[in-house]
Amino acid sequence: MMPDMTQHGKAETQQWQPVANTPVVMFDRVSKTYGRINALGGVSIGISGGVTGILGMNGAGKSTFFKLMMGKIKPSSGAIRLFGTDPWKNPAPYSRVGFVPEHEKMYDWMTALDFIVTFARLHGMTRDEATKEAIRVLTFVSLDEVMHKRIGQFSKGMRQRVKIAHALVNDPELIILDEPLQGCDPLARTTIMNVIKELGAMGRTVLVSSHILHEIERITEQIVILHRGRVLALGNSHAIREMLDQHPHKILLNCNEPRELAKAIVDLDEVTGLSFSDPTKLLIETRHLGEMHKKLPKAIVESGQIVTGIDNPDDDLQSILLYLTGGSA
Amino acid sequence: MSSRMDTIWSKLDRKSTAIAEFTMRQYRTRISTWVVMGASVVAIFLMLLFYIDAMNTEIEAIDNDGDSFDSDGDGYPDGQERLEGTNPNSAESYPIGVEPDPPEKWINEDDIDWEILVDGENYVGTDDDGDCLSQDTSSQRDGNDNDIDCDIVITVDSLNGTITIDSDSGVDEDPDEEKYGKEAGHRAFILGIGKFGIVYLLGIFLPLFLATGLIREEMNEGTIHYMLAKPIARGEVLLYRMLGYLGITWPFILGLCFVLSIITGFFGPGDGFFRWSDLGVWMSIAWAAMMVSLVYGTIFCGFGIIWKNGVILAILFAAWELGMTFVAILSGGDSAIRYFSVIGWGMIIVDAGVAVCWPDNWQLIELGLWGGGQGETNWLGETEYEALPGAAPLSLFTGYSGLGVSEWIAFVISTVVLLFQGIISWFIGQAIFKGKEVQ
Repeated sequence: MMPDMTQHGKAETQQWQPVANTPVVMFDRVSKTYGRINALGGVSIGISGGVTGILGMNGAGKSTFFKLMMGKIKPSSGAIRLFGTDPWKNPAPYSRVGFVPEHEKMYDWMTALDFIVTFARLHGMTRDEATKEAIRVLTFVSLDEVMHKRIGQFSKGMRQRVKIAHALVNDPELIILDEPLQGCDPLARTTIMNVIKELGAMGRTVLVSSHILHEIERITEQIVILHRGRVLALGNSHAIREMLDQHPHKILLNCNEPRELAKAIVDLDEVTGLSFSDPTKLLIETRHLGEMHKKLPKAIVESGQIVTGIDNPDDDLQSILLYLTGGSA
Repeated sequence: MSSRMDTIWSKLDRKSTAIAEFTMRQYRTRISTWVVMGASVVAIFLMLLFYIDAMNTEIEAIDNDGDSFDSDGDGYPDGQERLEGTNPNSAESYPIGVEPDPPEKWINEDDIDWEILVDGENYVGTDDDGDCLSQDTSSQRDGNDNDIDCDIVITVDSLNGTITIDSDSGVDEDPDEEKYGKEAGHRAFILGIGKFGIVYLLGIFLPLFLATGLIREEMNEGTIHYMLAKPIARGEVLLYRMLGYLGITWPFILGLCFVLSIITGFFGPGDGFFRWSDLGVWMSIAWAAMMVSLVYGTIFCGFGIIWKNGVILAILFAAWELGMTFVAILSGGDSAIRYFSVIGWGMIIVDAGVAVCWPDNWQLIELGLWGGGQGETNWLGETEYEALPGAAPLSLFTGYSGLGVSEWIAFVISTVVLLFQGIISWFIGQAIFKGKEVQ
């Protein structure tokens, strides 16, 4: 018996063609279970074009979702198609995919250029082609000046950019970034976000996972919220926001005389409740966060109080999920 | 036609050399690689010190036939008196007008001088000291009754692998221990360090430390994702990683064997400037170690893919192979169970190389074990010969294929078997890898 040379598992990218008129990524009732744990339960989704944010808590199934897409693991049931091809059986579609893994570990002993050239050659490029492309993508992520330095000497943000550059070297149509912003400083975040937005503007299909809503909102409006292995919400971030507007938000103000401040605010229509959790804190409840934020500064000024801090203790994924799941999160 | 070939080859070339080259560079950055190789070199060169010491130590000459002794005290050694026809046991009887020989002249004076033996009966041996030819009756001179005075009849039955030695008394009975011991010791050292040190120990330790983690370490550290997120089959990744592994281990084995062959070639006994005939033996040792490390490497890498503690499986396997090493060495060629191992076939490669490059090796063993024909008679009435120094170890480390074919065929067969084992291991390994979920 000969090794499987012709069909499944053979990366003949020259002969492989994407299926026409099919979403770039398609999940059809995909489930993945580990023993009795349901990592992904019956996810059906089709994604094509633009930047899509995959949002979810740790353990929500984001990584499982990507691993299935990248053919690292096999679905327990359902079908996955990448350009119309089953990625578990055939790695050929990866010629059109760029993948940025979440793992921090890299080949620290290689220079950025070396690293990208080596892995570009796995796409079937010659050394010269690979070098040319590597310099192009390193310039794209603004690392061309340090490309001869060892990756081990790079900061966290630079390493992330090397990973992104490595994923772009084959000029992919689909780019998957698993938690690309994790652990980066604000400047690096902004740079990486701009890179991702630019890729979306170039017409590529980009999937970005994160567990921080406002980060994703800065990149894209198209959001998929995963929770406990299921797609909880899917669509435009405005629509999701609107849904959220129905749900009471909290604003926490720090000031010396919360009671004086409360007098100035209690008359606003948007306020549904006030509480004093602390001698120096005032907690406002509202159903219209946007309106409230517009009126709040004027009210504070009128009260003559000095506010030392404003916080939205609610504005994290946890509380949104809590609301969307009706309190079962 | 050629354009199609070009595309397949150049595609393959890009991916395979990229991974193989990457793997080799990765090895170079790891301390473990240098520790394993450094430790191997140190261990083998420590053994080499013993060898050099042995080669520079004189082996004590033994007067096997006792004729350097002057029994009657007249100043003439017994051997000289016998040769001159005087009575060695009477002080009054001595050769007149002849200077007495120094006793040393009658030590090692009748060395073994056999030609290369062939199948059937061989008539060899010369009575250098004349103690056979000077005997009175023809029945004394022709003890083996073959109508030739003072010779040895050796019957070789290669079919059954038996040799019988029937000598007239006093022929080749006082061999040169120094000459024999150095030659046999030299060969025994090469085979001992070659078979056990290089083919087994190096052949198993290099893969144990260098191949078990070839895929596993990448899986543990998550860096495997960089390789698997490319349009390349997992079986190919495994194959090209193995190429990188061989790119490190094979030159190391070759280099080590080359250095050892140079050192032992100059330090070894012999009249020549350099022992050229040893080179072929070293080459077969290197080849056996290369093939064995290829098979072990593929198997151990597969163990690493199957289980994160694959090194435990590898150690268990190494223990089995150690047992098979002893079986292969100690049985010499009689046991069939070694065919169910990797090392057994590696040993056959070395034995085939020995048979081709040292065609007189088996004969050297036989005459060393016979050792001049002196010995004690045991309770069965058989003579237990006193072996010459070096004969026993040389006999221990020399083996036979037991395949019933010529040396060259045995060499080719065992190489093919090892290659086949390597390919099967790769095939199973890539099938497991393909079905493996990478977290």
